[in-house]
Amino acid sequence: MADFVQLVILGLLAGGVYVAVGVGFGLVWGVLNIVNLAHGALVIIGSYITWQLFTTLHLDPFLTLPVDAVALFVLGYALQRGVINRIIRAPLLFTFLLTFGLNLVAINVLLFIFGSDFRSVTPAYSGQGLEFGSVVIPYVPLISLGVAILLSAALAFILNRTRIGLAINAIAADRDAAQLVGIDLRHAYAVTFGLGAACAGVAGGLIAMSQAITPTAGEPYTLQAFVVVILGGLGRVSATVVGGLAFGLVEVFAQSIPGSGSVFANAIAFGLMVLVLVTRPQGLLGRLR
Amino acid sequence: MFLILGAILAAYALLAPLTSLDAAQSANVPLLADRLWFRIATIIAMFIVMATAWNIIGGITGYAAFGNVAFFGIGAYTTGMLIAKAKWPFLVALPFAPLVSAGFAALVGLPLLRLRGHYFAVASLGVGVAVGELVQNIDYGGQPLFGGASGLFLPIYAIDNRGLFFFYLMVAAATIAIAVTWWVLRSRFGYGLIAIRENEEAAAVLGVNTTVYKVAAFALSAALTGLAGGIFSQWNVFINQDNTFPIDYNVQMILMALLGGTGTVFGPAVGAVLLQLLIQFLGGSLPISFDIPFVSADARPILAQVILGLLLVGVVIFVPRGVIDFFGGRSRLSLSYLRRSLRETSL
Repeated sequence: MADFVQLVILGLLAGGVYVAVGVGFGLVWGVLNIVNLAHGALVIIGSYITWQLFTTLHLDPFLTLPVDAVALFVLGYALQRGVINRIIRAPLLFTFLLTFGLNLVAINVLLFIFGSDFRSVTPAYSGQGLEFGSVVIPYVPLISLGVAILLSAALAFILNRTRIGLAINAIAADRDAAQLVGIDLRHAYAVTFGLGAACAGVAGGLIAMSQAITPTAGEPYTLQAFVVVILGGLGRVSATVVGGLAFGLVEVFAQSIPGSGSVFANAIAFGLMVLVLVTRPQGLLGRLR
Repeated sequence: MFLILGAILAAYALLAPLTSLDAAQSANVPLLADRLWFRIATIIAMFIVMATAWNIIGGITGYAAFGNVAFFGIGAYTTGMLIAKAKWPFLVALPFAPLVSAGFAALVGLPLLRLRGHYFAVASLGVGVAVGELVQNIDYGGQPLFGGASGLFLPIYAIDNRGLFFFYLMVAAATIAIAVTWWVLRSRFGYGLIAIRENEEAAAVLGVNTTVYKVAAFALSAALTGLAGGIFSQWNVFINQDNTFPIDYNVQMILMALLGGTGTVFGPAVGAVLLQLLIQFLGGSLPISFDIPFVSADARPILAQVILGLLLVGVVIFVPRGVIDFFGGRSRLSLSYLRRSLRETSL
């Protein structure tokens, strides 16, 4: 029983990172209709910023997260404004390839700068945790989960309570009508992508604390973000939160299967995704769009 | 003009080595005198097969398949297993590569091809990743079933002029792939596929059995890709997850088709030649090479990837219809062409 409780807790905590990775990806996909294959690269750029600040300035890694968010927002805004807006009306294959190209460039620039060595961010309290009898709650994933929930809440606030957020929602509902009422599409698109990238940056900061990073370490997260968004349902932040936590649970339970559950992580993730797509395409909480 | 030049070059490339490798070497024929060139020419032919095969599902049917490398790997492992474990002769084992690949494609195609757009693209990408993972990690009775992480070694195929043999075999596969595309584009089947690409509901209303057509196109694409994989396994003698399920191939074959021109007969082949030569050149494997300023030899592969990424971005933005558009006087490469391409899809 204690084992089961421990697994549930670990699963939910693991879900924190997936929530953070998923919300930005889901926003860009839902509003801009772009499946951003460079999302993982943006995530890992955030990781490297955190790592750099942690090793040179000895900042607490959680304090570097706002820096990640701002830096990635600027990068994302520029990318959308300068490059992705150019093909926004092309067939989906083109946006796919474009973002894959950006992914390739970003990863290899990182390889050029930082090399392929594994880096890790280990604050003094990493490895410690709260203990309740035989159940342990490690600090870093616990705070990460809190940050991820906070991030999602902030994103939901921006989308539902601010002027630019309402503009973004309007675009998601009907692009042409939004343009008719005077929304500057180029700017609003760029802000949307920037917000998505900022979320990716924060996710990257969290990931730097939970695993060793290398320029290619972000790639699995692109695919996992996709699964998380599918699992929850496209179009709402809250649905992605549920999707992320569910994915964390599935992953932890799959890995606990005796034998070699962990080497089949991708196969399990995609098996789950195809199952959801075929049986419940709107996701666990989503509405059909 | 380009077509005639290409035909002469192709004929030369095909016929020159017939006079045996020694003769080619003593006559100092470029291109074919060198073993390395043979290897590169075979790789190019392999990519012609894969890009042309992708074109059937991605270009003609309009389903953005991102996991076709799975079929390459399945083809390679089918032939590899039959030769290494069941001790079959190569030429008997080879036909099973396209058969098993096509069978697998039909099986996963039934659920996957119900999905559209992004969903299909990423689901197929997932299949590509997952199959590679399964092949490497499945155990049977405590032993890795498919050679596991250490890969699978095949006995060397005993034949004179092995390089030449596999080059011709790969060229034959490329010819088959192009011929099949040519046939598809002129058949009732092909018109059905194009109808699905343009408007799937309308196609269904017109009496096209969309499920059957899509699955057939997917299986056909898989069969050709699997054939290339089967030849590759015996040619390369050693197969593992890295060289038969590389995610890069997915994107390379699509970029080739796009660079050449999707939905056309020769476009993907043209793109495959251009892009593969560029990749080999940047990777430093071509005999003609030069030093790139400010970049050390170690960083060359990294630079190659960066250039590939930028090329991907550039092609998608500026030449979305592929370079085949410039052949036969349809369009001319000019500043106004680039500007028009940019404006067409821009916000």
